[in-house]
Amino acid sequence: MPRAIWSGSISFGLVTIPVKLTGAVRSHELAFHMLHAKDEGRIQYERTCSIDGKKVPWDEIVKGYEYEKGEHVVLTDADFERIDPKVTHTIDILEFIELDKIDSMFFDQPYYLEPTKTGRHAYALLRETLEQSGRVAIARVVIRTKEYMAALKPSRDALVLDLMRWANEIVDPSSLDLPGDEKMPPAELKMAKMLVDSMSVEEFEPEKFPNRYREEMLALIEARVSGKELPKLKKVAPSRGKVVNLMDVLERSLKESKREGGEKSRHKRGAA
Amino acid sequence: MASQRVDVRIGNRTLSLSNLDKVLWPRDGYTKRDLIAYYEGVSATMIPYLENRPLTLERFPNGIDASSFFEKNVPKGMPEWVHRVTLASPGGTRSKITYVLCNDAPSLIYLANLAAIVLHVWTSRVGSIAQPDFVLFDLDPGEHCTLKTLATVTLAIRDALASVGLSPLVKTSGGLGLHVVVPLAGGHSYEQAKIFAEIVARHVAAQCGGLVTLERMIAKRRPAAVYIDYVQVGHGKTLVAPFSVRARDAAPVSWPLDWSEVEAFKRSRTPVPADAFAKYTIRTVPKALHQQGDRWSGRSWKRAKLETTIGRARKLWR
Repeated sequence: MPRAIWSGSISFGLVTIPVKLTGAVRSHELAFHMLHAKDEGRIQYERTCSIDGKKVPWDEIVKGYEYEKGEHVVLTDADFERIDPKVTHTIDILEFIELDKIDSMFFDQPYYLEPTKTGRHAYALLRETLEQSGRVAIARVVIRTKEYMAALKPSRDALVLDLMRWANEIVDPSSLDLPGDEKMPPAELKMAKMLVDSMSVEEFEPEKFPNRYREEMLALIEARVSGKELPKLKKVAPSRGKVVNLMDVLERSLKESKREGGEKSRHKRGAA
Repeated sequence: MASQRVDVRIGNRTLSLSNLDKVLWPRDGYTKRDLIAYYEGVSATMIPYLENRPLTLERFPNGIDASSFFEKNVPKGMPEWVHRVTLASPGGTRSKITYVLCNDAPSLIYLANLAAIVLHVWTSRVGSIAQPDFVLFDLDPGEHCTLKTLATVTLAIRDALASVGLSPLVKTSGGLGLHVVVPLAGGHSYEQAKIFAEIVARHVAAQCGGLVTLERMIAKRRPAAVYIDYVQVGHGKTLVAPFSVRARDAAPVSWPLDWSEVEAFKRSRTPVPADAFAKYTIRTVPKALHQQGDRWSGRSWKRAKLETTIGRARKLWR
């Protein structure tokens, strides 16, 4: 059971749905420690003062904002408290919108919402409603001491709270040197589209794309630990763009289902 | 206005019908009574095409000009005697949908009373829901496509299929186009049916040149060509059932045709396909059915075994 990082309720009109928030993504980034090459001692950090060069204990550290190069204004805990949003423990739904109206660049960090016992029905109702209407809810939420804009989306059996970036966090592409509305030669466009068609798939299957760097790095680490020879790096065969002969595909599939002993061929989603 | 209710006995069920005088086709004056009478009249012929196939209802509670909606889940208040089946949602996102099954006349009348004008059925049945029992080619003529072109392409599909030993069926969609249906033997997966449909569509497209488009984006199709939609095969994909009414002026019906009729379309001087299909409506079909019978029945359906078929296609369609 993943640990809840927040609990509160979704507030939508007169309805409140008690929920818990748990992380929906986890990082698979490999972490490395910094060591002293000579004796492999862990490198440690020390907080020192740039003026007297001495070590500074935590209780002597305050926060300052650099309003001008080298010039700081000190902010106290009381200053922060004054500005901190009121901890409300609610996800306040403000509006509903079709999902594809939101540029995916706005989505920052997804969390799962899990209903508590008394919220199950209302949770399912909201999820079903969003699912059927093709819309998501835009909400405000305060987590710890920060306020966020977030989208509430259905995802399989769950409701996902996707924390969003603020409007001013998205860089305006007009600062880049980009080609504008240029006339495309129809022949070139046609060729390019044909290529796109030939490489198009019906469903997105992320499992098709393994994280090769991680796999190879882990294999290398394992070899180092067990003192084996380093694994040979696999050459990545380019498999894209290959025009697959549909007849071959069909015949292979028919042979496969025959080999399964005339057993019912199963649909991917396992309908019945 | 007080809603008037009429109790009627259909088979062994008593149904309480409502608002029978509600006009559903404002320019033709057809009411819900006409819709119910139609479905009652064709029920014996139609039910075998609906039986045990999950349904999507297209409902028009306030007539064809007002807002309508597609309903997959069992409508509220549906009596217990109407059969139903719970399946994985085609979208894959939510877990389950409980679909209506229309297995008898009372169920059909019940649905007609909900102003479910159009009945969309799956290409597989409960019990073998992962195995389609036919492949569908939905032929959709472009804005400037003539009846002759549509018929030419439809016959090209028939001939291609006949060359590999298959006997497809054809019907009007009830709208602008035609549906060609290839009955399948048991044991084929949706994936296999889908690939087969694509092979046929691509082969016919190559043969017919400019008359056919496989372009899925409407804006990019040539308006004079026929779009062969071969992707309407899959878990949750549906087609308008034979004898289903459509929500268009004159209340046209999806009518099973004889291939000789498609050959006649090819010679016909009627330019617009829909005009040729307009004679099959809720007014005319019950009588036509009585006189001519169901074009699709009475013949033993030859069911395709794709392994044999594809072996032949490999030799012929190079």
